[in-house]
Amino acid sequence: MIAASGDVDIHQLRRDLAVTPERRHRRALLQILLLTAAFLVLVAISAASVLLVNKARNDSAWVIHTIEVENQTNALLLELRRAESSARGYLLTAAPEFLNDYRDAAAAIPTEVDKLDSLTVDNPAQRENIDNLRSAIATRLALFEREINAVSHGDLAGATAMVREAATGSTAEAIQKLAEAMLAEENRLFVLRSTNADRTQQLSSTVTITGSGLVVAFAAISIVLLRRSAQARDAAEAALRDANLNLEATVDERTADLREANNEIQRFAYIVSHDLRSPLVNIMGFTSELDELRQDIFKRVAALGRAAAASPEPIATVDAEPALEGEDQRLAQDFSEALSFIKSSIGKMDRLISAILNLTREGRRQFEPVRIDMRQLIETIVSTLAHQAAKAEARIEIGNLPNLTSDRLALEQIFSNLIDNAIKYLKPDIPGIITVKGRTKLGFAVFEVADNGRGIDPKDHQRIFDLFRRAGTQDKPGQGIGLAHVRTLVRRLGGTMSVNSELNSGSSFTITLPLQWTAGNRNEEA
Amino acid sequence: MTTPVTIIMIEDDEGHARLIERNIRRSGVNNEIIPFSNGTDALAYLFAKDHSGSAHKGQALLILLDLNLPDMTGTEILRQLKESKHFKSTPVVVLTTTDDAQEIKRCYELGCSVYITKPVNYESFANAIRQLGLFFSVIQVPPAAI
Repeated sequence: MIAASGDVDIHQLRRDLAVTPERRHRRALLQILLLTAAFLVLVAISAASVLLVNKARNDSAWVIHTIEVENQTNALLLELRRAESSARGYLLTAAPEFLNDYRDAAAAIPTEVDKLDSLTVDNPAQRENIDNLRSAIATRLALFEREINAVSHGDLAGATAMVREAATGSTAEAIQKLAEAMLAEENRLFVLRSTNADRTQQLSSTVTITGSGLVVAFAAISIVLLRRSAQARDAAEAALRDANLNLEATVDERTADLREANNEIQRFAYIVSHDLRSPLVNIMGFTSELDELRQDIFKRVAALGRAAAASPEPIATVDAEPALEGEDQRLAQDFSEALSFIKSSIGKMDRLISAILNLTREGRRQFEPVRIDMRQLIETIVSTLAHQAAKAEARIEIGNLPNLTSDRLALEQIFSNLIDNAIKYLKPDIPGIITVKGRTKLGFAVFEVADNGRGIDPKDHQRIFDLFRRAGTQDKPGQGIGLAHVRTLVRRLGGTMSVNSELNSGSSFTITLPLQWTAGNRNEEA
Repeated sequence: MTTPVTIIMIEDDEGHARLIERNIRRSGVNNEIIPFSNGTDALAYLFAKDHSGSAHKGQALLILLDLNLPDMTGTEILRQLKESKHFKSTPVVVLTTTDDAQEIKRCYELGCSVYITKPVNYESFANAIRQLGLFFSVIQVPPAAI
């Protein structure tokens, strides 16, 4: 149940993680597109603004130009009026001040006309007007000159007649009309140019407003997208966190399940091996009964055989094995052989079951960490194995051994098994040397039990640690339990073990155990 | 020693029961052996109808008890026997395959007289039973009380 839900969570997470990059990628692309668009719009707005501002300045310049032209026209007219009025003044008073005044004005007029001319070079209509104006002014000035000449020569009447003539003449009127035409033309231009300038300004502001609006819109979309992706990331993170929590819970549950299963296997092995012993006793018991029956039967067969042979010879020794002949003897031998096979098989099975029972009993035992003097422990083992070592002509050397905190009985079993194996599998022709030594390394004690015995083929290195499996020549008694047991113990003590060996060149077993083993959760596992 | 001792054998494995009986006989013990293959029957016989055990008053009983029974544990039978005033002095020999230290301790605490582990090897088994038979032939058994 729980396992299934854990799976679902993991799949959900996988789905999330699988989809998110794709989605994120698409979102990132969209972001880039948006940014590019916004940038382009900005550039366009800037360019348009620059252009429009330039155009507006231009337009304004033109408007100002128009006003200047109007001003200049008015100034020219003013000078003309000044010349006219001072000429009249001289005419009336003949005072030299008026004459000077007139000369000033008459001198200023051509420059004013030239100025106006240069201002209106762009406008051919105005040029034409100016040309006309220039000739009209010239005529008018010439008239004034003549009047003044007449006055200075004392010809007052002539001068008066000239003035009258001039007043009725068309020159003044022509000048007036030309000036008006020019002003009208400039007015027309002024209206035109100011409308133009207004339009440019309006266009400029429209472009700016639209562009700004677009940029704001893009920014808004960007923000929405960002927020959405942030939300997606948050959701993914939350999912990941949940999955992690679930994973931990699942691992805990599985560990508990495994522990439970392991305990169950231990119980099962114990019960099975235990219950197998009862029928085995029966098989063995009744086989023995059969054996006794066999003796009785063949005794009777022998007796009957002799009776049938009508031998009057009395049966002297009832207890002695009766002499059988021919066919009967063969039957008796077959019977014995069958029984002996049954017995030896039962013996073997009995040893295996006992071994399993011992292993399960070891598995159920609670380990207790104590401080152990390794040298003393190994010496004790060596002294108990001294007899076997002497028989095998083996010498056991004990090197440096680090002390550690661990389970005493387990260590005794580990090392007595290894040393016992080393003695058992020596080469018969050379004197055996077995060394036990150790060192410490990063909080671990590394022990080595090495011999110069027959060695183990590398292809069997894994096999020798399996239950009921053995390697090499099977010439020694054993059930193939020792190393399996040793490895189980080493693992329960939080260590590891390995073998290094070649055929015919000795073996070396390395055991790494923690220097400070505490009966932590390892005990619960057992 | 006027009343002959009756051996009550509570053993679920018939083969074992037969082997035990034979080997006891081989050691020269000819007392009556009453076999039971489960705890319920054995208790029913011992405590009879009134559940007091008074039916066996004055009888000298020796109980041979296996711990692994199909219907109840041998320790439960042992406890009931030792709590009964009739059988509390009756010797109980626990003969079982279990050699678990906890179990052995518990049986002695409950008051069993002897705890014997059935050897798996038949020769030792037969030997052990024969010695047990010899043991039976020399021990004194009190009659069931009251």
